[in-house]
Amino acid sequence: MVALARKTLIYEWRRFLPAMLAVGFAGLLQLLQLALVLGIFGSTSVYITGSSADVWVGYPGTQNVGSGRTIDPDVESRILMDPAVQRVEPYDWVDGDWRGPHETGGISVFVSGIDPSPEGLMFSKALSPSLRARLAEPDAVIVDRSVLGQLGVNIGETATINGHQVTVVGISSGLRALGGVNVLTSLATARQLDGDPSDNGPTYLVAKLHDPEQADAVAARLRGDTAFGPYTTWSARDFARLSVRYWMFDTGAGAGVLFLAGIVFLVGAVITSQTLIAAVNGSMREYATLNALGVGVAALRRVVLEQAFWVGALGLLGAGLLGVLLMLLAHSQDVPVVLNVPAALACIILVMGLAAVSGLAAMRSLRRADPATLLR
Amino acid sequence: MTHPAAASQPATPPALQAIGISKAFLSGKLHTQVLEDFSLRIEAGELTLISGPSGCGKSTLLAILSGLQKVDGGRVLALGSELGQLDLRALERFRLQHTGFVFQGFNLFPALSAFEQVELPLNHMGLSRDEARARARRSLEEVGMAPRMKLRPSELSGGEKQRVAIARALAKEPELLFADEPTSALDAANGQMIIDILHRIAHTHGTTVLCVSHDPRVVVHADRVLAMEDGRILSDRRTHVPTNDSKVT
Repeated sequence: MVALARKTLIYEWRRFLPAMLAVGFAGLLQLLQLALVLGIFGSTSVYITGSSADVWVGYPGTQNVGSGRTIDPDVESRILMDPAVQRVEPYDWVDGDWRGPHETGGISVFVSGIDPSPEGLMFSKALSPSLRARLAEPDAVIVDRSVLGQLGVNIGETATINGHQVTVVGISSGLRALGGVNVLTSLATARQLDGDPSDNGPTYLVAKLHDPEQADAVAARLRGDTAFGPYTTWSARDFARLSVRYWMFDTGAGAGVLFLAGIVFLVGAVITSQTLIAAVNGSMREYATLNALGVGVAALRRVVLEQAFWVGALGLLGAGLLGVLLMLLAHSQDVPVVLNVPAALACIILVMGLAAVSGLAAMRSLRRADPATLLR
Repeated sequence: MTHPAAASQPATPPALQAIGISKAFLSGKLHTQVLEDFSLRIEAGELTLISGPSGCGKSTLLAILSGLQKVDGGRVLALGSELGQLDLRALERFRLQHTGFVFQGFNLFPALSAFEQVELPLNHMGLSRDEARARARRSLEEVGMAPRMKLRPSELSGGEKQRVAIARALAKEPELLFADEPTSALDAANGQMIIDILHRIAHTHGTTVLCVSHDPRVVVHADRVLAMEDGRILSDRRTHVPTNDSKVT
């Protein structure tokens, strides 16, 4: 079989280049957008994904980590009674007002009060044991590298949170927050920073199980007991999803992503289909001749669709290579970008869908390949 | 009205036959009757030439006889099949199996070599790869293009391109070969060569060659020359075959 589609694509690559670029940039735009959104909104669940707890216990109806309310401290013993549970520790969330040593004005901070002991669950994946141990000092805090400028501090310097003096003892990385700044401290310090006298328990209890696979079952089992006041439980995975979903959809950001994806698709498809249509028109007499010789319209359509496929595949390849480079650049600059398999697949589907739609549009112009027009 | 003597040649059935066909075009509000109650027989194994001034309806006649265009009225028989009764798919199949085309523009794909141009339609005929390639090679040899079969159209002269186009039609081994002004874009020597090839195809392969041209050089080589004007046959002349000229007007 003579590979007409591929040979034409190679021989007349200049003609197809705009389509490949359009497809490639559409793919790249979509890829980076998704990676950014996932990175930014993924940071809303960093408290969960950066920790090794399997089950989270919090106030019923909590929609994301940042909007928890205190629960009864006695719930801890209820959780510990379950034989599947290996360890339970409290996690305090305190909203604070940061005043740095330099002129930065007031900054809204999210204070995370965690267990600084080496076996502590909270942020176990984000903090090294030595860094974590420094939190055992009174009034010690750790801040993220990415917000040092924003907070106007450096290691060893002091600042105040809710009027209480704290000292920066360490710098973490990868703990960016959305809508504020994360500050890590010990449970003891966090309680001192909490200005609300009605808060007399932990915001969350986090538990590690003997068998992490059991997280869903244990979370379900622990739920619904009201003897210790209102609380509910989630497996870590469910709670992380809940947090990300809250930010994606309840804030309208998800709609924005979809809207932009639609625009990217539309613009890409318009450019790509126009280029393919021009390519078909350029070979119209040849296609018509083949049809006169009895080569069916269906076979000619396949040629056009195959060209669209290659345009999509090559555009995707370019977008992939450039995307990887840009992601590496973003990582080196602490820009939160995350790409997972479903997101990458979504990009591939979008790009190939774009190419397919353009191919179908170009296929329609084949109707003009009427061999009778060659006899004028 | 033209009513050629269908009864005068009853021995072999004609390769092509038009019976009382009519065809009109509508361009804007202008209604142009190109053919009306037009009948014609084209005998098998001959090079038949239709000549006449532009607009006389000869290209329309070629399009109708080759199954590229439908008639408004009347019947068209090609190799015994009534083309009017075939749907689009069946017409494509008929053309694939039985017809070859050579156009004024050579209509070769810029990306393909001469060999691939010829092989491409054969791929769709259900031939094996080897058979398709053997036929393509044979066909290119026949038009004297074997030494240049690796070249793309941009590396070929006009005459060479037309020979490739003829090889593309010829490789299908069609019973019917239609040529529309095949020499008008060529110089004298190349035009002569194309005419010779078409003539040879009719006589060595027994192919029915129907050629539309106003090139006087073709007239000399045709077995039969039909002069057309205003949708009618003015004269019907046999040149080589020693039969009586038969006026059909």
